[in-house]
Amino acid sequence: MKVTTNASRLVTQIVVGEVWPPLSDRNGFRVDANGQAFFLPGMGGVTLGVHCGDIATRLLGDHVEPGLSVRSPKESVNYALQFLTCIGNIVTVISGPSAGKQGFVIGQHAYVLVDMPEEDMAQVTTGDQVSVRAVGQGLKLLDHENIHIKNLSPELLEGLAGGTNSSGALDIHVARIIPPEAIGAGSGMVSEYANTDLMGTYPDLDSSFSLGLEDLRIGDVVAMIDQDHSFGRGYREGWISIGIISTGSASLFGHGPGPSTIMSGPADAFNVILDENSNIKFLADLLKVKS
Amino acid sequence: MNESRTTVTVNALGYVGHSESSGEPFRIDRHGVTYVPTGDGGIVLNYRVGDSIFALDADHASPGVSVSHPNPDAAHSLVAQSCIGNIAQVRTGAATGALGVVLGKRGEGSRVLVLFAPEIMELIRPDDQISIATEGQGLSDSDMESHIFNISSALFNSLAFKKSGEKLFRVPVRTSFESKYVGNGIGRPMPLWDVDLQIYELPSGVSDIHIGDIVAITNLDARFNAGYRNGWISVGVVVHGSSPQPGHGPGVTIFLSGPESEFELLSDPQNHMGLTESRLLALAASLKR
Repeated sequence: MKVTTNASRLVTQIVVGEVWPPLSDRNGFRVDANGQAFFLPGMGGVTLGVHCGDIATRLLGDHVEPGLSVRSPKESVNYALQFLTCIGNIVTVISGPSAGKQGFVIGQHAYVLVDMPEEDMAQVTTGDQVSVRAVGQGLKLLDHENIHIKNLSPELLEGLAGGTNSSGALDIHVARIIPPEAIGAGSGMVSEYANTDLMGTYPDLDSSFSLGLEDLRIGDVVAMIDQDHSFGRGYREGWISIGIISTGSASLFGHGPGPSTIMSGPADAFNVILDENSNIKFLADLLKVKS
Repeated sequence: MNESRTTVTVNALGYVGHSESSGEPFRIDRHGVTYVPTGDGGIVLNYRVGDSIFALDADHASPGVSVSHPNPDAAHSLVAQSCIGNIAQVRTGAATGALGVVLGKRGEGSRVLVLFAPEIMELIRPDDQISIATEGQGLSDSDMESHIFNISSALFNSLAFKKSGEKLFRVPVRTSFESKYVGNGIGRPMPLWDVDLQIYELPSGVSDIHIGDIVAITNLDARFNAGYRNGWISVGVVVHGSSPQPGHGPGVTIFLSGPESEFELLSDPQNHMGLTESRLLALAASLKR
């Protein structure tokens, strides 16, 4: 993206976490939109077979987290891990048979989510340690003071299409436009942690539940209309938030594939360009991750 | 109504909540400005049913007292089973024996909102025990696709939304909101949560919105978890006031949700009269065994 930033002034820190186990409670079942009980895998562990560019709702799951789901056991350390880690940061496995292999952060979902090549990911399991080169919080677009940037590494920003245009707005390429009716769980929470679940994304439910968002892909750059995520996530007419789809299908009603927020500002600060190829899957090559 | 089986009444104990804070006194509003939240739980004296949702510079303030339980499972059960219109009785402290009534419920902190008369409110202290005769979950109308929940059968029947033989709820409401205004509470199970309306000013043409008003939310299916569904309507009571936090705002405890074909909304944005403290307290008094 052709844009002037303060990236040279940002701090880079090494933060570590571990692959967290999938968790359940003694009841196991949850309910879908129609009250139907379901039991499906989802959060935690290492979720194989889903990567940037894949249809987010393809897998039968609940809050599917692509790749590695990473946390830290100590609460304060974990918050720092979740808050400081940005999309596009390089992650290195530092224990277990995949030690030395690398991936990249695709978002947060109360876990840091890490995509990496399938053959490397297949050797990673619960408890394996990872380190993250955390850089990005504090990033500013110097010619766009009214756009708040968050959770965005300078490398990802550089790789995104667009930039400051001749009229002073920010050209941003997005794969999909998200209407405000789609905003589900995550509304009202801080936007440096977890993500925004999208409704209207349920391929198995009737059309009354649909907002035409069943074909979102992991890694898609999306524009959320009438959303201001500058200081938390909320509805605000005339504002736009830009996010990266970081989680897959959810069967729990009011939940769904979710974007992690990277930008937020008044609508006239952006020139949104629909581009179905706008997806962060280019990061593996850009970052030259070691496989 | 299902004539052969009746809802169950269970006495459940809760404790009047304290005002609570983390070590960080500030919250951040949607403009990024810090503020010290007030009225978010505990005992709020100067806020009554019938007051405007924008009457106080507070954060999620609700009338009456917030009641919960220190055991998380017991708190979840207390909130899930408590219904609007349930009778509550003070068991300890200076207000022992006083009767109150459930106005609604809130998520996150697992809180039941209980109203008392002003002179009783002056006597109640945090940690006082409140016993709630919980009743209402399981209420249904076999003629209707709509679900009824979070409301006592006595209150629901007294509201008389439906004439016998008809398949239509005629619901007097202050106004309706599109589902895109629903923030915190979306995607959460409705027996345990209210939904916040992300509004920071009155909608055009609406003279005021009061605590106790009945409002409708369009394109929202709240039978289980609340979520977007085209052509569905959810109806609830306004139970707490506004909030500066992004994604938050006045709260609605939903008690009726179904297809729009089963609803006629009688909207009166100027003179709507919702639930009143006197009506709710009188109802509770009539239920005393």
